[in-house]
Amino acid sequence: MNSPFEVLRHWWEYYRERPFLRLVRLFVARIFRGGGDADAEGIDLGIGLVLTLLAMPGGFVSLLLLNKYGTFLQWLRGNTNVDPLLVSLPDEYFFIVLSMTVTGAVAVWRWDAIFPDRRDFINLVPLPISTRTIFLANLTAVLFLAALIALDVNAVSCVLFPAVVGATQNKFLFFLRFAGVHAQGVLLSSVFSFLAVFSILGLLMAVLPPLAFKRISAYIRGVVVVYLVTLLCTTAAVPDKLMRVKEHAPSWTLLLPSSWFLSWCQALRGRAGAGLVELARLALPAVAVIPVIAFGAYAVAYRRHFMRIPEMAEAGSATFTSRESRSESWLQRLILRTPFQKGCFGFVWKTLLRSEAHRLVLTAVGGLGLVLASQALMHAFEGAKSLREAALSPDALAIPYILTFLIIIALRGVFEIPVDVRSNWVFQLMLDQDRQECESLGRKVVLTVVLPLVAALAFPAYAYLEGFRVAALHTLVVGIWTVLLTNMVVVRFRKVPFTCTLPVFKQHSIVVLVSWCFGYLIYAVSTPEFESSALAQPWRLLSLVPVVAVAWFVPHSLNKSTIDIEKKLIFEESATRAFQTLGLGD
Amino acid sequence: MLEAVHLTKSYLSLPAVEDLTFSLRPGQVLGCLGPNGSGKSTTVKMLTGLLEPTRGVVHFDGRRIQDDLQAYRKRLGYVPEEAHLYPYLSGWEYLEMIGALRGMGPGDVAVKIDSLLELLALHPHRHATIGTYSKGMRQRILLISAIMHNPEIFIFDEPLSGLDVTSALIFKNLVQELGRSGKLVFYCSHVLEVVEKVCTDVLILRKGVVIAQDTVAKIGEIIGQSLENTFLHLVDDVDTMSVARDIVGVMRAA
Repeated sequence: MNSPFEVLRHWWEYYRERPFLRLVRLFVARIFRGGGDADAEGIDLGIGLVLTLLAMPGGFVSLLLLNKYGTFLQWLRGNTNVDPLLVSLPDEYFFIVLSMTVTGAVAVWRWDAIFPDRRDFINLVPLPISTRTIFLANLTAVLFLAALIALDVNAVSCVLFPAVVGATQNKFLFFLRFAGVHAQGVLLSSVFSFLAVFSILGLLMAVLPPLAFKRISAYIRGVVVVYLVTLLCTTAAVPDKLMRVKEHAPSWTLLLPSSWFLSWCQALRGRAGAGLVELARLALPAVAVIPVIAFGAYAVAYRRHFMRIPEMAEAGSATFTSRESRSESWLQRLILRTPFQKGCFGFVWKTLLRSEAHRLVLTAVGGLGLVLASQALMHAFEGAKSLREAALSPDALAIPYILTFLIIIALRGVFEIPVDVRSNWVFQLMLDQDRQECESLGRKVVLTVVLPLVAALAFPAYAYLEGFRVAALHTLVVGIWTVLLTNMVVVRFRKVPFTCTLPVFKQHSIVVLVSWCFGYLIYAVSTPEFESSALAQPWRLLSLVPVVAVAWFVPHSLNKSTIDIEKKLIFEESATRAFQTLGLGD
Repeated sequence: MLEAVHLTKSYLSLPAVEDLTFSLRPGQVLGCLGPNGSGKSTTVKMLTGLLEPTRGVVHFDGRRIQDDLQAYRKRLGYVPEEAHLYPYLSGWEYLEMIGALRGMGPGDVAVKIDSLLELLALHPHRHATIGTYSKGMRQRILLISAIMHNPEIFIFDEPLSGLDVTSALIFKNLVQELGRSGKLVFYCSHVLEVVEKVCTDVLILRKGVVIAQDTVAKIGEIIGQSLENTFLHLVDDVDTMSVARDIVGVMRAA
């Protein structure tokens, strides 16, 4: 007699080859590994690695919390009477936000692949399977992925975080109860986040004409990313404000679904006041309503978009006009000296403006910049007696530094993201690999983005608030810092942006990340502090001259010391191994 | 027999195909010729059931194909113009999936895929992902996916695109062989010599309207020239030699 395991295995072996499950498997793989109309050569990390990466933040943060909840450490700090439910509230909020952000980001990332596209139509519709079966299979794949990602993102923290908090208690029941409520909170918030993004996608597709949807899709994704970044930034302030909620929940909580789920967890533990109970009542209806909206919109969008793909292909050859503005040609004559720069500059700009992946990264970093800048602005007004006093505070002065730092780093980062590597043959064929002009090209692209922004924002604002002299000095310092930072980030850059393959992991990635964090502190924290004191006595700014001189000469000397082979233009970058054999025996 | 009766398809009230009527009998290989924008792709999509005609109907064995599209598609083999395949699947996995979706048994599928891959020189690459395949290799995968279930009707839309000389020759002979064995073949192409060689009949479209329809031999007889010259005479009133000379003139001026 067969064991239940055997029966199950036979059942699976039989049904996995049935058309419906075959389609579900196809869509799951497709959502993870490639969507869109083209045979995109995106960074294929593989399903296993993606799931591991998604699970890491929750586990990592849980381990960091050992420092906060460890009983021995608490004892050493003299905290012998700790209420774990009260102390863990900000951390629980953080986990809810983290799960919503990560899951929402995955949905935004795979936005194009969630919905069946032209390739699916061409491959699947001519087969003897109904379009309803394709619809249901795709829907099943989406649901499966929503559940899988929710479980994956929260699995580690669902065990570790309650274990860490439970370490303060000696009752196993406490751990079980805490873990149960926590798991419900984070899993539901994850599913809500995924389906909310899915609903936005479906509603837009259902309402907008296909061409209009394609045009605004990237901007909507950008807005969602900015919202998710903002949500992440609320983790410091919101828990404290929620703890103070008495009778009625404030209206801003309606914009933060994370606060509903936290309140729901508190209500389940019997720790919610009237205000939090009011908020908790929003959580379950939201989770119940969002799938209805998502699937309704998806069904309409399926009919409007997927079923009309062949018609769109025939009728959709809209005419695009391209015109070169006078300012563009003037700019080219002024700053672009060689054929290499003239040819590549336009390519880089157009890619930045038109490639969805690149725009998305820039929007995400821009969103982070806006959040950090608005926080700095709020700090600037805290304790300031007047607008002028606030404007000269280190926090207000830091705003252009924060924005320029993030834009420069983001631009340098996106230069590495390839766009259809197969098309780089044209550069390989035409460019002289020994002529080193990539640094200069990269610098010019970055500076043409950042310097006009500095001049347009910092100068008028400070000229109005503090007068022409302060405005000129502030703009000058920010401008010089911008140029210096740009020089540093493009040092030894030897690729035409977007044309070189990108290895999944570079050995020095962590070092680069740490140096960026360190650089941020010097650039966007220390400099504004110094500038704040120096603007009152401008002669003090002269003490920056040696710093500028060093920062100017370091990249130059690094370039001079680079050997010729490392200056060659490259189109392929492979991951370096920790250990390499010399191959002497070959 | 496959019959197109007064087929018309309009996009935003602009007609792409107008009042197209023809029939395709077993053993017949019907070539469809026409310049870009003449309505060839729209015709193919209506014949495969991917597009519903604005007016008119497609019959197969006396029944409207739209009445039971799935049954019709079981008997159809289609090679589309664009080789949009899933780049992360291997050639074998892709064909296995198509076989499963067509409802073929796993054993039958494996045997057929194995033999067809061998015959079309893809066997050594069967486990490589399609993303690494050349255009011709992808085209051969599409061809296998269209013939592996032994359909009755074949619709080929620019099937020779990217194929090397040997594969193209194999394919041309295959089309003739299919015709001889009583299958229905609708063959859309820009390559006039191939149409002249493999098709028994030809349909010439211009701006969505049929301007000539007969056997290849008869059409040639009417104009008294080769199919290439006949096509140019009927479709594009262009002096190709003069255009070529003008292009060289522009190149030199630059």
